[in-house]
Amino acid sequence: MVDSNVHHWSFDYNYGAQNPQFAQELIRTLRGYNPKVGARQADAKQTVRHVYNILPNYWRGYSRGDAEGQLSIGTAIIERSKDNNNLWHYSVEYENATSGEDLRMQFRCGDEPYRPLTDSWHVDVRNSGIDAYSRSTCDGHLTLNREVKLRINGTEVSAGTVDAGVELTCNWALFDVIPALVQAIQASDDGVEIAVLADLEQLRSKSRLGFLESIEVPFALEGYYLYGIGLLPSYWWLDADGNVAIASTFFETLVLGESIR
Amino acid sequence: MRKRPNILFINTDQHSWDALSAYGNPYLQTPNIDELHRNGTSFRRSFCTDPVCAAARSSWATGLYTSETGVPFNGGSLHPEIQDLGQVLSEGGYRVFHCGKWHVPGRNVRESFQTLYYGRRDIGAGGAAYYDSASTHAVADFLTNYEADEPFYLQIGYVDPHDVCEYLHNHEEKRIPNPVEQGIVSEDALPPLPENFDYDERETVLHRVCRRVDDALIHAAILKGIRDWDELHWRYLRWNYYRFIEKVDAEIGRVLALLRATGLHENTLIIFSADHGEACGSHRMFQKFTLYEESVRVPFIVACLNEGMAVEKDRLDETHFVSGVDLFPTVCDYADVDVPEHVQGMSVRPIVEGRDVHWRDYAYIESNYWGRAIVSEGYKYVTEYKPKSEEDFSPPGPDAKQLGLAQLFDRRNDPGETENLAGNVIYSEDVKICRDKLLTQEVKLHRRQIVHPSPKRIILNWGERLRTYWEHGR
Repeated sequence: MVDSNVHHWSFDYNYGAQNPQFAQELIRTLRGYNPKVGARQADAKQTVRHVYNILPNYWRGYSRGDAEGQLSIGTAIIERSKDNNNLWHYSVEYENATSGEDLRMQFRCGDEPYRPLTDSWHVDVRNSGIDAYSRSTCDGHLTLNREVKLRINGTEVSAGTVDAGVELTCNWALFDVIPALVQAIQASDDGVEIAVLADLEQLRSKSRLGFLESIEVPFALEGYYLYGIGLLPSYWWLDADGNVAIASTFFETLVLGESIR
Repeated sequence: MRKRPNILFINTDQHSWDALSAYGNPYLQTPNIDELHRNGTSFRRSFCTDPVCAAARSSWATGLYTSETGVPFNGGSLHPEIQDLGQVLSEGGYRVFHCGKWHVPGRNVRESFQTLYYGRRDIGAGGAAYYDSASTHAVADFLTNYEADEPFYLQIGYVDPHDVCEYLHNHEEKRIPNPVEQGIVSEDALPPLPENFDYDERETVLHRVCRRVDDALIHAAILKGIRDWDELHWRYLRWNYYRFIEKVDAEIGRVLALLRATGLHENTLIIFSADHGEACGSHRMFQKFTLYEESVRVPFIVACLNEGMAVEKDRLDETHFVSGVDLFPTVCDYADVDVPEHVQGMSVRPIVEGRDVHWRDYAYIESNYWGRAIVSEGYKYVTEYKPKSEEDFSPPGPDAKQLGLAQLFDRRNDPGETENLAGNVIYSEDVKICRDKLLTQEVKLHRRQIVHPSPKRIILNWGERLRTYWEHGR
């Protein structure tokens, strides 16, 4: 791992002379985790916890809130463990200083490579802005007809229907799905189809996961992409042990800073 | 007496008129805005007042053109004496709410509306990826808890697809492979280049200096960064633009679902529009700021999700020229609130209800302080005022002697605006008719002198550059 000013176009916030520089912050964050704790090797009985530092990407208008002297605009924490019924229990915290959003998400997935969403899930959102909105809740489930039902602040709405034969997972489970699907993705010319329930609220049907390329930034990483209807491309970079070390969208770069089991 | 309706104004940012699947665009899916179209009247001849965010939004807020509002650029400042829609509706007994993007400099949105959500730091021009989902959460909180007896007016300002600007800014600093090189999207999956990818170089000086020359006044760094784009890069821009629109369409879908589920749809009128469009490769152009069709023409839908209001549904109005100044009087009309004197717009309510009404036969558009356009049945006329030799900060016009170059397009035979007919003597009478319309329209304006230092600075700097171009051709 070197501190050189190396980038890839998919995670390359290099605007102007901000201090600290993006590359330094990225490397500093990556140094914080032990790359030997891979998602593929996770002990089923124990809780796996990944902590991501959220750095900006592409957009110059981000706000760090009150935090001076760092690029970080928030944190994403993903915890999961498998129960005796072979269900994965996920607990995700996502806090963003620019939007003021603080999402707490709980959901369960089957013990399969696609981590299909099962039974019900819950989202609790709080916002630290100064305006009238401060909290929203959402409970959801998938019906037998594969319709996504949401109960938002107690009011039930449909979020759409998942196509037959396509697995539905949550974007926050992709940190395990992509490592598990590496062989299937690489064996396919045009990737694999998946349906994603973004933040457990927005159904993104007909999404595709595919292989991008391999790079050495700052150590060996394999890149994968995801896009779909209403889903701008995002890029997922796996280390040799199957950790998603970097995940970037147009606006955010999630950099793995802590991995605990 | 019928209870006055709730009014929901949903707006997107930088959304071109034809970027909806309901209108036959095969390159994106917008099922939720399509639902508004099926439940309402779509005005196909709808134009912004000025193709940039703050300027266009100042017209929404006031019903005035931008030479009247004090906001001819993003760096403008709304004249403090002008009443805005929130103030007028409040006085009329409505509870008025704002959520999301506002971008009317010089007017504190929190003083005119109760704000549901306006970012942790106030929302500026961009950042849909951060703000739009939070805006929907805020609206969900509002709709599921609204219990007041008074009707509400709620305006939701979604930022997308404005994030396409950030996509473009990213190309300022590095070369990003085209999508086929990336291996992400096959060439077959990309939209084609627009039919009007090429353009007639006989443009106004304002178009050239603002958007074409290497040291263009607006976003020269992007221009430099994309000079060597190949065809696939341009097509990938379009592909991404459509994904941004699908993203905001999904946000709108959640709002509409909640409106139905709460029963509020029974008495809620919905207006959908965008502040301006996106060039998206037409005329080898990106973003807005020009007077070409893709930049100035926007969707405008008036809808109701139940049968209780007299809204003609699933209807394309191809006849009436609608402008951004029409939002204000339309909302006031439905709210049964008096429209302030001098408001330029007209209520589209009679048209939505299928009644006859005397209507204008053109749309009038301003751009970058000096630019002007008239869109009429047969022709689009684009022109510019030359900078004054001594700037007095009174927005120019009407002054035929001060007009600069012109562009004239035959809207029936050249909808892509690829051949400038203005220099052809055969069309000199058509140019004169359009110019007369422009000057007559400008007589009706109540232009006010720009007093805020920010727009004054821009006028001085840009005016100097434009004068240099006029004097030395560069």
